[in-house]
Amino acid sequence: MKKTYLLFILLQLSINCIAQEIDSDLLYIKNRMDSIQEFSADLELNLDVSFINMPTKHASVLFKKDEELDFSSEDFVMLPKRGLDFSLSELFKYPFITVDRSKKNINGTLTKVLNIIPTDDKADFALATVYLDIEHKRIHIAEINTKKLGSYTITMTYENKEAILPDNVTVTFAMEKLKIPLNFMGRDTDIDRKKMRNLDTKEGKIMMKISNYKITY
Amino acid sequence: MKFILKTELYKLIKQSKTWYALGAVLVIEFIILGAAYYQGTAILELLLENLTESFYFEGNLLNGNLLLYVVLNSLWFNIPLILMIITSGIITEEYKSGTLQSLLLQSVQKRKLLIAKYMASLIFTVTVIVILGFTSFTLAYGIFGKGDLIVYLGTLNFFEEADAFRRISCAFLSGMLSMIFYTTTSITLGILLKDPAKTWIASAFFLIFCSLLLKLDIGLSNFDYLFFPKLTNSWQLFFEFNLDWKLILLQNIGLIIYSILFAIIGITIFNKQDIG
Repeated sequence: MKKTYLLFILLQLSINCIAQEIDSDLLYIKNRMDSIQEFSADLELNLDVSFINMPTKHASVLFKKDEELDFSSEDFVMLPKRGLDFSLSELFKYPFITVDRSKKNINGTLTKVLNIIPTDDKADFALATVYLDIEHKRIHIAEINTKKLGSYTITMTYENKEAILPDNVTVTFAMEKLKIPLNFMGRDTDIDRKKMRNLDTKEGKIMMKISNYKITY
Repeated sequence: MKFILKTELYKLIKQSKTWYALGAVLVIEFIILGAAYYQGTAILELLLENLTESFYFEGNLLNGNLLLYVVLNSLWFNIPLILMIITSGIITEEYKSGTLQSLLLQSVQKRKLLIAKYMASLIFTVTVIVILGFTSFTLAYGIFGKGDLIVYLGTLNFFEEADAFRRISCAFLSGMLSMIFYTTTSITLGILLKDPAKTWIASAFFLIFCSLLLKLDIGLSNFDYLFFPKLTNSWQLFFEFNLDWKLILLQNIGLIIYSILFAIIGITIFNKQDIG
């Protein structure tokens, strides 16, 4: 009987410990995000990669809870494989723990820095560092290290204090250099070899301006 | 002058080899268009291979605009020789058959006769390129549809449908100036050599010479901007992401000046020649 009682106390303690491992502010944000059942929005996409010149593109996005984001466009668009999920539902999809990394002031916004570590192997990311806007209870920056697709950073700004979803998202990611055989060069005499050598790994950025949100809670 | 020009054009229309040439040019165009479809697939795979790790692609890039760009790349190398053979014949056939002598026995000025021949060559070249452009656009858009254009010129450049159409149209016009330059040169070569077969060989040599020098990079900027073999590729400037209108104008005006210069050389030599 004594042993059973001790085991019960240990079990209770361990449950409490796990519950405490998730930051309360993040939990609040998670619950707030979880309340969104569906949203649609218009996107304006601008790509910033040194070796790609692309005009501004337009697309629309449809999010349904527990489903993949659906993008559609009349134009040809290049969408990054990483960082499009600005609802950050991927972060909260599987069980996780958080580690508090203190506070940091980013461009005048006081943020709480947290590490999110998934506890389920099914999660696509290994570690995420999120910067929470403490005052407005939303994520300002997320640095995500995925298991297969490398690392990327999402920086989000919001239209107003109440906004739950961002109106401007910048996704920064690393890209491998472009390897084009010489016979496909448009003007094969004009190869800037020095410039080509510098293209080993480049940082790419995609800037998304999001408007006309239609959110269903 | 008008009468001489009309006569020269009439002679061009009446000779069967003009129609054979036009037929050959159109057959080449269809072959290039067919090959461009397969080449287009390979080009896209190659260009986008590295990017598939980072991006999803939404939309179709294997469309009429890409095929027209591939066609443009092949056209300006394959078409000039046929055009040069026909246009050089305007003068060499007259030398060969001796009709030039009888023509000049009439009250026809040497200078006016030759200007009319250059003009006939110009009209013929423009007509062929307009037909080529019209059929290329009709076939490419009719079969493969419209869409954004992707081009690699040091950077991957994407152009929206309407922008791509404008750029390809301008490239056709710029390419037309190159063709005019080649056909004008072929008449000048005809005046120098007087014999059709020798002129064809010289024309082929001139084309190869130009394409070799086009690829030669000696690091002199003026050589790149102003030497005529380099100017024959100025249509590519329309596919730079940011258009350098100053350079485009400079190179295309340069082509016009070279064409006029080669014609003046031809007229001067012809005036000094003792016909008969």
